[in-house]
Amino acid sequence: MSLRSTPLEDSFYRETFPRKIKPDMPIRNLAAFRLATWLIVSSMSLYANAQPVQVTHARVELLSRQTAVSGKDLMLGVHFMMEKGWHIYWVNPGDSGQPPSFNWHLPGGFTAGDVHWPKPERMQSSPTLADYGYHDDVLLMVPIHAPAAMAINGNLALSFILDAKWLICREVCIPDKAQLKISLPPGTDNANSATAKLFADTEKTLPAPWPRTWKAKLESQTSNFVLTIDAGKPINKAFFFPLNPDQIDNPSPQLLRVQPRGAAIALRKSELLTKPLARLSGVLVLGDGSAYRLDASSIAAKAVK
Amino acid sequence: MKKFRYSLATVGVFALATFALAARVGEPAPDFTSVDNNGKQQKLSDYRGKYVVLEWHNQGCPYTKKHYESGNMQRLQKDWTAKGVIWLTVISSAPGTQGFVTPAQENEYLQKMNAVPTAVLMDSGGTLGHLYAAKTTPHMYIIDPRGNLIYNGAIDDHPTSDGSDIPKSKNYVSAGLTEALGGKPITDAATRPYGCSVKYKD
Repeated sequence: MSLRSTPLEDSFYRETFPRKIKPDMPIRNLAAFRLATWLIVSSMSLYANAQPVQVTHARVELLSRQTAVSGKDLMLGVHFMMEKGWHIYWVNPGDSGQPPSFNWHLPGGFTAGDVHWPKPERMQSSPTLADYGYHDDVLLMVPIHAPAAMAINGNLALSFILDAKWLICREVCIPDKAQLKISLPPGTDNANSATAKLFADTEKTLPAPWPRTWKAKLESQTSNFVLTIDAGKPINKAFFFPLNPDQIDNPSPQLLRVQPRGAAIALRKSELLTKPLARLSGVLVLGDGSAYRLDASSIAAKAVK
Repeated sequence: MKKFRYSLATVGVFALATFALAARVGEPAPDFTSVDNNGKQQKLSDYRGKYVVLEWHNQGCPYTKKHYESGNMQRLQKDWTAKGVIWLTVISSAPGTQGFVTPAQENEYLQKMNAVPTAVLMDSGGTLGHLYAAKTTPHMYIIDPRGNLIYNGAIDDHPTSDGSDIPKSKNYVSAGLTEALGGKPITDAATRPYGCSVKYKD
């Protein structure tokens, strides 16, 4: 069976994200880590040893957080290891580019959930252009839901196959694709020590749910939105990443005014926004790197002179 | 592409800088004068009374190639210029970047591809691109006979670089021109353009 990952907000909000977010935590000693991964996995002679595929300006591999299929849900991840300066895109790519798309071929009864998108980076290439995406190294985690009743056929491994397409860019853009495969045997002991750190580190870069005690509201002015955050404490630095295209002007500076209980952020409206906006959804990244999923509803516009 | 971490918002300042008016649907399209592939001056307001299409172009971009290698863009150029529409292809790639060409190279390309725009505007300084806030190649605009912008956005509704998507796509430029020439308002007047970033010098 196959399931295409659905972009944008549905996919984004149905997911469960971890609570705690820390500042940027790059994966150190990636080469050593990957070598260790390879050695451990191959020496264990398990099936969970998908080989990275060399593609244009990157290597890409399909990884599993589990070493075996136990009947519980699995967490797989598409690992992009890019050459320096090359990047792929967030679910909202910004002004240009295209997010990766995944088409899964799974064993009977298994279904793929939506991509868990880490918080993006902003990439501004000119005063009128800004994109959102990932450089260097990123793991795009995808939950794989197991069927309620799973038929295990002896020790026969199950194959999880992904047709992935993406756009990779530096000064120029190259559309690319690969078929990635991972085989997992049936089993009970299913924690994969070889990939544990990468998955755990990636989880820390996923935006957390909006804190219950915080409030966000959106006010529409002539050319700007003003996003007011009440977090109970001053917010000195913040950046808003819009989940949907065509709402705010991506390259414009976001101007922040600190308030005793938070901040007010002015966001320039997109030239492509032709209708009033009921809600503004996205990710708010604070100065300490913590990231939260934000969904602000619009309040009635004040009379603006 | 140069990379930046997100620039942190300025504390205390609260008025957004006034940007030069970009191209907003329903408003007058910014006028311009630009030199074309034959060394001729092209002035937008000289075409008052006609519909004008602007097509941002970069011959090396996979999204541009999708529409040229399939013949899709040339077909649009041919069909709509036959109906009196002015079609201006714009190249804003800076020297040394992908898509930058000399007028001679561009004329060679037009001939090879059987492309038939009214003219190609050589905008390597990016003035025209920034004036319209052109984001991608392709990025399409339609200007009505009174000089108002009536379409800003994508060429179609399939934001991919795959030519096999073209037959199942809704072409926004054709749809918009068909409606406008029929005296109707354009249904999809502003869409998200897709493609490669325009290769500006800054």
